[in-house]
Amino acid sequence: MLMPAPDEGLIARRGEFVAALRAIVPGEGVIDDDAELAAYECDGLTAYRQRPMIVVLPETVEQVSRTLAYCHKVGLKVVPRGAGTSLSGGSLPLADGVILGMGKFNRILEVDYENRCAVVQPGVTNLAVTHAVAGEGFYYAPDPSSQIACSIGGNVAENAGGVHCLKYGMTTNNLLGVELVLIDGTVLRLGGKHLDPQALDLLGVVCGSEGLLGVVTEVTVRILQAPETQRALLMGFPQVEAAGACVAEVIAAGIIPAGMEMMDRLAIQAAEAFVQVGYPLDVEALLIIELDGPPAEVDHLIDVVREIGLGCGASYLRVSQDEEERRGFWAGRKAAFPAVGRISPDYYCMDGTIPRATLPKVLRRMGELADSYGLRIANVFHAGDGNLHPLILYDADKPGELHRAEELGAAILTLCVEVGGVLTGEHGVGVEKRDLMEVQFGPADLDQQQRLKCAFDEDGLLNPGKVFPKLCRCAELGRVHIHGGQVRFPELERF
Amino acid sequence: MQTSFSPEQLADPQTASSEKIIRACVHCGFCTATCPTYLLLGDELDSPRGRIYLMKEMLEKGGPPSPKTVKHVDRCLSCLACMTTCPSGVNYMHLVDHARAYIEAHHVRPWPERALRGLLARVLPNRTLFRGALRLAQATRPLQRLLPTRLRGMAAMAPARLSGSDPAERPRVFPAQGERRMRVGLLAGCVQPVLAPEINGAAIRLLSRLGAEVVVAEGSGCCGALPHHLGKAEQSKALARANIEAWSRELGGEGLDAIIVTASGCGTSLKDYGFLFREEADLAQPAARVSALARDISEVLSALQPPEGPKPMGLTVAYHSACSLQHGQGVREAPKALLRAAGFNVVEPAEAHVCCGSAGTYNLLQPELAGRLRDRKVAHLAATRPDVIAAGNIGCMTQLAAGTEIPVAHTVELLDWALGGPTPPALEPKPR
Amino acid sequence: MIQTWSPRTADEAAACVQQAMAADLPMELVSAGTRRSFGRPVDAAARLDLSALSGVVTYQPEELILSVGPATPMAEVAELLAGRGQCLAFEPPDYGGLWGGKAGEGTIGGAMMTGRGGPRRLTAGGPRDHCLGVKGVNGFGQAFAAGGRVVKNVTGFDITKLVTGSFGTLCVVTELTLKVLPAPPDAATLAVLDLSDEAAVRLMSRALGCAAQVSSAAHLPAGIASGFEGRAATLLRVEGVSPSVAARIGHLSQLFEDAGEQVLLDREASQRLWRDIADVAYFAGEARPVWKLSVPPAMGARIGARLTQDLAGRCFYDWGGGAIWLEVPEAPDGHAAGVRQILAEVVGSDGHATLMRASPQVRASVPPFQPLAPAVAALTERVRRQFDPQGLFNPGRMYA
Repeated sequence: MLMPAPDEGLIARRGEFVAALRAIVPGEGVIDDDAELAAYECDGLTAYRQRPMIVVLPETVEQVSRTLAYCHKVGLKVVPRGAGTSLSGGSLPLADGVILGMGKFNRILEVDYENRCAVVQPGVTNLAVTHAVAGEGFYYAPDPSSQIACSIGGNVAENAGGVHCLKYGMTTNNLLGVELVLIDGTVLRLGGKHLDPQALDLLGVVCGSEGLLGVVTEVTVRILQAPETQRALLMGFPQVEAAGACVAEVIAAGIIPAGMEMMDRLAIQAAEAFVQVGYPLDVEALLIIELDGPPAEVDHLIDVVREIGLGCGASYLRVSQDEEERRGFWAGRKAAFPAVGRISPDYYCMDGTIPRATLPKVLRRMGELADSYGLRIANVFHAGDGNLHPLILYDADKPGELHRAEELGAAILTLCVEVGGVLTGEHGVGVEKRDLMEVQFGPADLDQQQRLKCAFDEDGLLNPGKVFPKLCRCAELGRVHIHGGQVRFPELERF
Repeated sequence: MQTSFSPEQLADPQTASSEKIIRACVHCGFCTATCPTYLLLGDELDSPRGRIYLMKEMLEKGGPPSPKTVKHVDRCLSCLACMTTCPSGVNYMHLVDHARAYIEAHHVRPWPERALRGLLARVLPNRTLFRGALRLAQATRPLQRLLPTRLRGMAAMAPARLSGSDPAERPRVFPAQGERRMRVGLLAGCVQPVLAPEINGAAIRLLSRLGAEVVVAEGSGCCGALPHHLGKAEQSKALARANIEAWSRELGGEGLDAIIVTASGCGTSLKDYGFLFREEADLAQPAARVSALARDISEVLSALQPPEGPKPMGLTVAYHSACSLQHGQGVREAPKALLRAAGFNVVEPAEAHVCCGSAGTYNLLQPELAGRLRDRKVAHLAATRPDVIAAGNIGCMTQLAAGTEIPVAHTVELLDWALGGPTPPALEPKPR
Repeated sequence: MIQTWSPRTADEAAACVQQAMAADLPMELVSAGTRRSFGRPVDAAARLDLSALSGVVTYQPEELILSVGPATPMAEVAELLAGRGQCLAFEPPDYGGLWGGKAGEGTIGGAMMTGRGGPRRLTAGGPRDHCLGVKGVNGFGQAFAAGGRVVKNVTGFDITKLVTGSFGTLCVVTELTLKVLPAPPDAATLAVLDLSDEAAVRLMSRALGCAAQVSSAAHLPAGIASGFEGRAATLLRVEGVSPSVAARIGHLSQLFEDAGEQVLLDREASQRLWRDIADVAYFAGEARPVWKLSVPPAMGARIGARLTQDLAGRCFYDWGGGAIWLEVPEAPDGHAAGVRQILAEVVGSDGHATLMRASPQVRASVPPFQPLAPAVAALTERVRRQFDPQGLFNPGRMYA
């Protein structure tokens, strides 16, 4: 993975930078020891590793502001990092850059039940927000699978989703406000406990900006009253098409389930071998559909969905009768990733979104691609919103297999875009999908996005080398002269 | 994760074992969520994932470890909450044990630290020496403020009085009352009999009453956990060997149905003897056998199915789940179920999975972090408004007692009391 | 003499923009023109009439997406969706009546560019939460696309959020892709009468925090609405399948049985009521200045009290107290100073006030939108310039 070429001049001045940063963040908060820097060289995407030059772990907003202002002054690149659970390499360091770790921002500042929101620091984990409000029967809805460990700040950066985002929205739909520090140290607040932006929806564009626009130092999120009842159906189908049809019919019936997940045969078998929850092993696709709400509603909808499932030819159908059984249905799905990790030395988790109706075609084509690359794929699918997680199984110890897995991954994402979908539904672009951005977006599309970046970070110091395949040179992007037609930019530096 | 050990390095069985463990880690970071030091410090380096990375680099590189690596490994509590959380089955315990032994062998600590660790490893496992040290601390109480901070903190933890003696200190057989349903060994331990002899007293009374014959085997003593966690591999193995041989003699004699531990920190150790001696021809099998028979007292009591308590005890018990018990041994429900059946109202604190900071000698070697964890835990326990805090490990009990006025007792003391035994000393009204 | 361009396709729109660039000619972007009373009046020598960019590009109900030209009439969109039992969940308001014009004439583009949601916005999200994709022409004369046609998409910056609610100041929108959702098959509203504003906000807070899944919560103080015999009415709406609606309304009724006299409205009555609230029907037919404040819900009543007392206005509440609609007597500044002062005193910067109706003179001299904190204002302007460096699109529409 090619990153911007390191600036040897900056690296030579490391001692000077460390001393200056230590004056801003005292104690153990500035790390420059080689052994210690190693632990920061990658996040959840371990295929790519780079030791950073310096790691800074601030504890206050003032320290964040002064650190960024200093980096801006001397031209140091900054890579923000939350819990380091990104699957797209969002916090992959730069050899001549600073990692700004927000792990010490781990306090829950306020729970406001009257206004139904919580104000937390970005290092607080997603699940910790729910735990903080569970006593009063509330919860925080977006639930990515890594919610036990992933940070809210990271959720904001990636616009994280989860199983329940079909019904309850993604992070951006549950985010009320942030405190943001720009690269020059400016601290500003967007949103708050009130709804709607004052003018342009800057909050909306900061969410999902993958650490390229600013550093979030405080987050205000919506909390919801937990549903009275949750019940689930477990349905097995002899063909993937039938499962896909069932999903479409549920939506067509005007039902938006709390969650609707699909697993293919390989994923089902791996999960069952790992946790023995009783999944049928003779089906091509398994659907878990969860309905939540008041009992009257759930009981009614369970019947409707059951009829739909049977009508679509479900060869296996169970309805949860109690909470334990419902949890049991989910246990296999939740263990799918580690389960797959046990049938293969390594696996590569992909993320792409497709129009739901194209699923059977996409799965067929993926099977063909997998065969041609000599690798296996297990599929876990957020059927409700078309977000696909193909798990490519490989062995890093076999020469060339990692490379083939990556090529297969790229081919799958290209296929997603070809059928009318997008490269990433919830993991973000990071470095992983950066070089595929031109598959989905044209030059003008990417230019406009990079212009937005210029408004926040003209010198391109925040997380360069992520999301966009070309470095942003704001001055050139800004000066466009039209001569009766489209203008072509001179080729900007490629990594 | 990818590793880069040489074939020569992998020829060493310890390294080979650690390499396998490291490869199981996929760097997902779930472990950071439940790590007490990450909770406090927010630094990847003080999280299991970061430590795995540091240990990997240390073992791959060979030679003396970087002092920073040592610092972060020293900060690990070995609470094993990470193992409970890890979806990939990484055996962090074995990896950090190996790393500690490696550090002890390859790293020269500053001499005051070396002296302190040496002292702890020498004194704590030896009941006579430990008793002596405590008496010295008591006698010189007025002078304690002259001690350097760390020693002062330690001295302050010494109880005001040492009362009673532990019936399990000398080799003996305690017959069962009525029909003998099982024959069990009891590990006396080292620190527990000195600090709280009433615990084994209660255990023996209760076991006898329920029909178990209890044997304190000749030659058994400290389980070796404390020196083990200080990286002193040889000493810890010597202590373990003595225990294995002592119980093997019993097993070869009248036999044992289980080997019971009342300090859960020791329980985790005993259950790991099989792994510890897996490479040693003469001890591999006996060690495995001992490990297979090792049980926490709550596990055996559950199996014996004590009768329900004759009356509601009218007390709210906040159950503190010791790390070695819930994470190290996977025993979570049994103690609570026993307490409820005995007639107590059992409540649990928030963040029940997080360590109290005792962690063997951690509260002596890392007083600042241990203190913060203790205060956090005590606040959660106090919030449940209990009459008494129950725990299954002497380390936790001492640690918590230092931070709260709420009485702290061992689970087995409360059970014994509910089923006819004496009032636990912690619940006796304090003398004026 | 206003130069008017009327492109029929996206390509033609791009060509128009390029001409405007070359001539440095700022334009008013407009189609049906129903939102002209919103924001600052645009004084431009040219007009880009987008009325021809109308019509459905693709409607895929089972994928929950609808792609349309921006000038497509709202009425057409609503009818199309209703035919398949779907709707725009953010309940777009129609301020036609409020502004002294006719209702039902707005376009989908106007709704998205003004970015306001109705009562259900509280729980279902606003227009920006339902905008999946945007195609447009920027101030560099380039046609570009943002977002996509799928619901779950985090590829690149979320520019659709930025364009929604931008009042046409960032780009010329040539196509919108919206997320559409099933229309609730049934609805009912519980009205609790005679509550004070404070008591009403507390009740709404309890209702929104309970398990009944209330979708909207509003409070009409006494004298605002002619229904309910002019008495104060606190309104809770519940939507969904019939058995569920019945059960949940029953639950609410029980929960608040001691709160006051209750009236139950069925589906049709609910629809009429919430349409009136969405469209601010209570202030229609007049010309006095109208403000909309967005505040933390728990502060609603306190602010409302100050506004009515200090400024001799009258108000009603939506979004559980988080939205305050205020009508004030005529004043040279439309009472802007007073409104902003009260807001600042009670909630600091955690809220804003927007002038929704006033004479053109007032709208030209008084900033209708909440003045931004300096750092935010500077950033907003930098962002705007990165879309429209020459200031060609609706110059001064939001801020001078």
